Amino acid sequence: MKLFSSLDSDALHARVQSFLRAAIVDPARTPEGFDVIAVDLARHQAAHIPAVARLARARGIDLATATRAAEVPAVPCDVFRLTRVATHPVEDDVAVFRTSGTSQGREARGEHALRTTATYELGARLWAERLLWPDTTRLRAIVLASPLAEQPDSSLGFMLDRFATLLGGGSFHLRSGALDAAGVAAATAAARDADEPALVLATSFALVHLLDAQSGLDLRLPPGSRVMQTGGFKGRSREVAPDELRAAVSAAFAVPEVQVIGEYGMTELSSQLYETTLAAALGKWPANEARHGVYAAPPWVRVTAVDPITLAALPDGEIGIARLVDLANVDSAVAIQTADRVRVLQGATGNHAIELLGRAPGAPPRGCSIAVDDMLGPP
Amino acid sequence: MERAVALGARLADRDDPLGKEARRDLVLTSGLSREGVELALTEHLESAISSDDMASLLAAVKTAPRCHVILAANVGTAALRAIALALAASSEVTIRPSRRDPGLAPILARELGIAVAGELTAAPGDALHVYGSDATIAEVRAAAAPGVIVTGHGTGLGVAVISAGVDLREAARALAADVIPFDQRGCLSPRVAVVEGDADRAAAFAAALDAALRDLGEVVPRGGLDEATRAAIALYGAAIDAVGERFAGPQHVVGLDPAPRALQLPPPARVVHVVPARAVDAARLLGPWARFITTVGSAGAGALLDAALALAPEARPAALGRMQRPALDGPVDRRGLGK
Repeated sequence: MKLFSSLDSDALHARVQSFLRAAIVDPARTPEGFDVIAVDLARHQAAHIPAVARLARARGIDLATATRAAEVPAVPCDVFRLTRVATHPVEDDVAVFRTSGTSQGREARGEHALRTTATYELGARLWAERLLWPDTTRLRAIVLASPLAEQPDSSLGFMLDRFATLLGGGSFHLRSGALDAAGVAAATAAARDADEPALVLATSFALVHLLDAQSGLDLRLPPGSRVMQTGGFKGRSREVAPDELRAAVSAAFAVPEVQVIGEYGMTELSSQLYETTLAAALGKWPANEARHGVYAAPPWVRVTAVDPITLAALPDGEIGIARLVDLANVDSAVAIQTADRVRVLQGATGNHAIELLGRAPGAPPRGCSIAVDDMLGPP
Repeated sequence: MERAVALGARLADRDDPLGKEARRDLVLTSGLSREGVELALTEHLESAISSDDMASLLAAVKTAPRCHVILAANVGTAALRAIALALAASSEVTIRPSRRDPGLAPILARELGIAVAGELTAAPGDALHVYGSDATIAEVRAAAAPGVIVTGHGTGLGVAVISAGVDLREAARALAADVIPFDQRGCLSPRVAVVEGDADRAAAFAAALDAALRDLGEVVPRGGLDEATRAAIALYGAAIDAVGERFAGPQHVVGLDPAPRALQLPPPARVVHVVPARAVDAARLLGPWARFITTVGSAGAGALLDAALALAPEARPAALGRMQRPALDGPVDRRGLGK
């Protein structure tokens, strides 16, 4: 393995950040091509991360001669659990994001280590400005998640903290794992009193807890308010179908359903995908591409559906599992292989969008041998 | 209950009309190859019981006026032990076999005169045995009428420990004999092999296991794989390509992680995850899995095995090669019986 140089990493971060700033304005006018950066990132990563180098060897890929992002070997999400996927030494970590807590303990959680959060923050802000608040930043952040101090290793917590800061502070209503429904009601009342729209940032399970607890609470928000929801339930609340949850959230907060926006993200990525219904309603996204269940990727993320058995790329429109190339993953793995079933849609804006069809089912239980999902449930 | 065991002997006999019927049924419903069905019936079906085991079994069972059994799409032969336990608990037994994969349940019910029902109605005081995932058991428990004594028999996995100093090829052959039955779908099936020592020793064991599974796979081919299982194998293989070495045979995969931070659970389709470890690593690697471990198979003895058994004290200890042949001394899965 090559000796890690922070200068090499810094230079790549600078190139990626330039790409992000240009691509958000016009994806066709970036200082250099997506593929060029993706391949350079992969070379940097293979030089310092044994797992990436091994994967390239196993696939027979010579990154020295590769020219397309599609050639970069995709690192399965599980690998972040099994080994360190970082170009830099542990002592250079400024943040380590871990996959959500399960009964498996800290060592069994996936880790995404960052030596700088600058590129992550830039990408998160630019895409949120496009799809979460393309019209105004005069929004009160009401966060149904724990404050960052309580969950310093959560990438979602980090992102929500930064969003709240960007919007002027915000209030957090999950403390020590308990939802403060009265606090949420007080925050919505304050928004109503000030006639200032709010952005509710919430995990799906926190919304379910709020809805279960809301009897007698007035959660209505002023016009222009919106809700961003993310994540699954993972045994932390009853499961609610997406349509049902969206309708209930819409009713509780008095927010039109198009203004309830789903987010798709994961610890192993540095970028997020969002539903575009809000942006479309505001005339800032093609209306014919906006519907719930379809998540738009920023121009620095390329999504490919791959065959779940051969892991070979499928043509756009076919259903497969998602392989994401995320240029903001500078010091980890630029290409990630998920188990999420998707159909990839090519939008008029040039962005990739995915229709999320759930997680690829594991091997169907045909015996009493335990399945992976059974082991990830609550203790 | 003795009748159930005697029936086991007839089912194991390929020349007995019942044995022929069982083979015909299991080939159609179990997903195992013809040879896999033969192996399951002749080598892994309970067809005898010692007096000591009988005493243990009776001690493990609480009697009830009626005993109801919800069977999962379990390994094909598992219904026999489930029914034997139910008969030990009550003379009035009703079963609900899995619709998807009833296994031997229909034959056993018919021959033993046991009632089969689409829905079970358990009354207060009745025993209700549920075989299935933890989620299914929880659902049944929640829905059961007050006073019904619900016993869950959940899913689990086997872990193999290869101690320092043992012959690796011999241990690999023994472990392969535990992996092949039921195509690794049983809750006693080993999914992970922990090799005491360093990465080189684990690699040597992985290579030996690959060879042993290749040899046995030619005699007992794996049953067909559905797409979801093939996909799970593909993703497991890709992860192993990144962290270690994959030994992929025509009917099996051995994945070696030479420097494990955590364990990876491979799909149950003759896929074995091999890691090196020392006793001090046991808590980190096996600790998070301890509550799911139903059996610990071992070759040799040593500190790592002691540590593994201490982490999973309710797991059945077994010698490698015997993990899939538990005595008929009570439920296969002993977890929670002490509570």
